[in-house]
Amino acid sequence: MRKGGREPRKTDDEGMPETELWITKIFNDHLAGLGNAFLGLVGMHAEARPWANFITMQILVAAIIIILAAILRARLSFDRPGKLQHVFELIYEFVDGQAEDQMGHGGAKYMAYFATIFIFILVSNLIGIIPGFDAPTMYPSVPAGCAIATFLYYNGVGLRSNGPVKYAAHFAGPVWWLAPLMIPIEIVSHLARPLSLTIRLYANMFAGEKLTAVFISLTYFLIPAAFMGLHVFVALLQAYIFLLLTMIYVAGATAHEH
Amino acid sequence: MTKKMILLVMILLVASPMLFAQSADVAAQTKAYAAIGGGLAMAIASGLCGLGQGKAVAGATEAMARNPGAIGAIRIMLILGLALIESLALYTLVIVLIK
Repeated sequence: MRKGGREPRKTDDEGMPETELWITKIFNDHLAGLGNAFLGLVGMHAEARPWANFITMQILVAAIIIILAAILRARLSFDRPGKLQHVFELIYEFVDGQAEDQMGHGGAKYMAYFATIFIFILVSNLIGIIPGFDAPTMYPSVPAGCAIATFLYYNGVGLRSNGPVKYAAHFAGPVWWLAPLMIPIEIVSHLARPLSLTIRLYANMFAGEKLTAVFISLTYFLIPAAFMGLHVFVALLQAYIFLLLTMIYVAGATAHEH
Repeated sequence: MTKKMILLVMILLVASPMLFAQSADVAAQTKAYAAIGGGLAMAIASGLCGLGQGKAVAGATEAMARNPGAIGAIRIMLILGLALIESLALYTLVIVLIK
């Protein structure tokens, strides 16, 4: 009998055995105490193998992005940009162009959050293609976290930019006598936004992985490879869609009536 | 023609508890119904999603043909619209997967 708490989950929600990645195995073997300390911080039981796949993969993704950014910063040059700088300039110009499309010139203030969420979701989605790794966005908690962060961000930005009274006045709709009808509709639609962001990202990534797995078990070579290619395309597209919707929500929240 | 189809489907649905009840216990019967319901739900969702996305692409390509200067803006709207329609079919998939 293991010491300290329940047995780890042998199967996940559908009865499929939850296998550990090699990274998660390393974390669980050596850093179990740290994981249980985190669990204790939020009041959960200590478990035998506390690190979950998606947590270690998120840490890996964050570490990759931070290390890349640190290397980039050391090599920033105005006269002779290197390849890494070119790549990041492309990404930055892409996000900046989209922000200008959605919000005009006011978009520059929010570039930090947009670029962060875009690069994080992009790298998280794409790291799932590599065989030894799992996309953290494949587990429902990670897209939920991103969606809640976006929800808090656009509401916070809207409140700060418009003031609480004017921001609440957005919910009343265009004319004042429609307000009793508009306010419940607007509240429900605002609450549906993080839900739809979560499910969209999670279902796309999860379905892509399941499809590839099913086709690998059915046939060989070219057909599973085609589905994996589709999954790569969908990964890029879903990161872009998340970014676009975030921008649209921020644009809606910070809209100043003329 | 369609009235006969509807009648046939109704008879099948009404008769199915009797057809299934002979061989399985309650848990397997529930699983059987869940699988059939899931397949049907996913089929309807994907079919309607296909129709919706077809209309979206048709409108977008016609607009791009009429107004080549607005291709950039129309492309963004098209991608956004397709993703939103797709997500409706994905909600159904999530419900089916949670069984």
